Amino acid sequence: MQEDFHYYATYCAAFLSGFSHEESMGICYSAQFVDYCSRTILEKIKAPKNAATTQLQLEMMDARVDILGLQDITRIWSSFHFLPKDLYAKKEKRSKRYMSKYRLICGPNGDLVVKTVENAKDKSLQHIGIAMHVLADTWAHANFAGTPSLVINNVDNEFYEYIEKDGKEIERKVKFRHNPSAADDLEQGLYTNSLYQGNENSIMNLGHGRAGHFPDYSFAKYRYLPAWGDYDVIIKDNPHDYERAFAQMVRAMKFLNGTMFGFDKNMYDESVLEKYGDRIREIICKRQLIANDDWKQFGQELSGCEIESFDIKKYQDEYINAGKDEKGDTFIGKFIEGALSQKGMVTNEIYESGSKLAGFSKVVNKEKGLGL
Amino acid sequence: MTYLQRINSVISGIISIAVAVLLILYPNYAYAVILTILGFGLMIAGIKTLIYFFTMARYMVGGKVSLYKGVILFDFAAFTLSLTNVPKIYILIYLAGIHAFSGLVEILRANEARNNGAKNFKLKFAHGIIDVFMAICCFVFIKKTNTAVFIYSLGIIYSAILRIITAFRKSTLMYVR
Repeated sequence: MQEDFHYYATYCAAFLSGFSHEESMGICYSAQFVDYCSRTILEKIKAPKNAATTQLQLEMMDARVDILGLQDITRIWSSFHFLPKDLYAKKEKRSKRYMSKYRLICGPNGDLVVKTVENAKDKSLQHIGIAMHVLADTWAHANFAGTPSLVINNVDNEFYEYIEKDGKEIERKVKFRHNPSAADDLEQGLYTNSLYQGNENSIMNLGHGRAGHFPDYSFAKYRYLPAWGDYDVIIKDNPHDYERAFAQMVRAMKFLNGTMFGFDKNMYDESVLEKYGDRIREIICKRQLIANDDWKQFGQELSGCEIESFDIKKYQDEYINAGKDEKGDTFIGKFIEGALSQKGMVTNEIYESGSKLAGFSKVVNKEKGLGL
Repeated sequence: MTYLQRINSVISGIISIAVAVLLILYPNYAYAVILTILGFGLMIAGIKTLIYFFTMARYMVGGKVSLYKGVILFDFAAFTLSLTNVPKIYILIYLAGIHAFSGLVEILRANEARNNGAKNFKLKFAHGIIDVFMAICCFVFIKKTNTAVFIYSLGIIYSAILRIITAFRKSTLMYVR
């Protein structure tokens, strides 16, 4: 997902769930900041680097793919962008090594998404924003894993998108190219994806790189053969999934702000779709590279307030200038606390499932005075 | 990282440094040694690829490519080990290519770090420049017999040191509940 959904649509969802304009801004800023909080930024503001929630393109090029490097990549991408759906999934006649990667495949309505939302209960707005980013991405990034893996994340040339022509839905074969600086051409059907790399652990095989930006486009509907799927075709209907994601975010935030009791799998706020469904579908289905303007307009109509553009530097000075004991009370300080909590929770769950792909984890009980 | 993996990393690091030092001390035998290392390296890569096919890629759509790759690598290994001499210029070009590419990546990373306001970009930039410089050296001294041996040995020592450092790094994530 992109800024349109993580920032503006998250603002709309937060406001519709009952948060004020100011609170919604804090939540959507944090949700979007997940895509920016790299080690490079944290180093710049002298914050703990293990709170990174993403990696820049060149950071990844530079990343080591030995065991520690892979664990670091997996911790970041599985915790924040490709939350595993079922860490105990079963598949016959597969090696243990294969299964450890297969079980990291992302998808909505898994146990971990419930734990992610519950983990944000009674925490800061920043923590809620992080949880909403993670929840939304479980829909967009479904069927890909947050660890480099050719056998899971590869996509072959049999990739078709569904487009409308003369009022009918037709299939068009997707042409992929590998120039990261070239924008996708929606008219001609030219898209950028990552280069094929035969190495299992190549960074090119992380997440949905091989499928290009398709998972990030709300309007996209496409079919392809996932590497792990035993030659069964998957038809990914993003408009449907993005609508579900929105309704689930509203429901989750109603739980987090105490408007509704409990949160579990397959819980959605249908009332919001009954009232605003047509408008939301209109934005989601519009073929455009990014839907910032449409979501922003919708959000401003809802709250009657101006939604300022995302500014990565907005809270950096506050953190840099805060004293050592005050950093935890700053906006970024609270974000870091939420990020470490989310990363720790997911890493611990992966470790307890018997996989070492995200590294080793040790549970420390804060109440017993064994905190960090 | 398990204790066994840490011990393995330290031992293989020490052996690599020892081999590199021997190569620098006895350059006359070095090319034969490098060829042998390359040959066995290819053989290990071939076997690893075949194991990868049977444990992972056979379950993947289009995974048979790994089977072909493993067989071809194994074939190359047998070919390399059967050679008695290889023109040194090929080894130099190979080494120059590696250094030039990694140097370029380092310079790009340094530039990215600088744009994001990080302060450690100078070290990265210097590292990149040195890598590119070594690549240029490979071409300038292409007629000097021992240049390739020296650069190759430095590369081995560098990797070995990194491997040993990695073995002592903290790898457990604390989960505060």
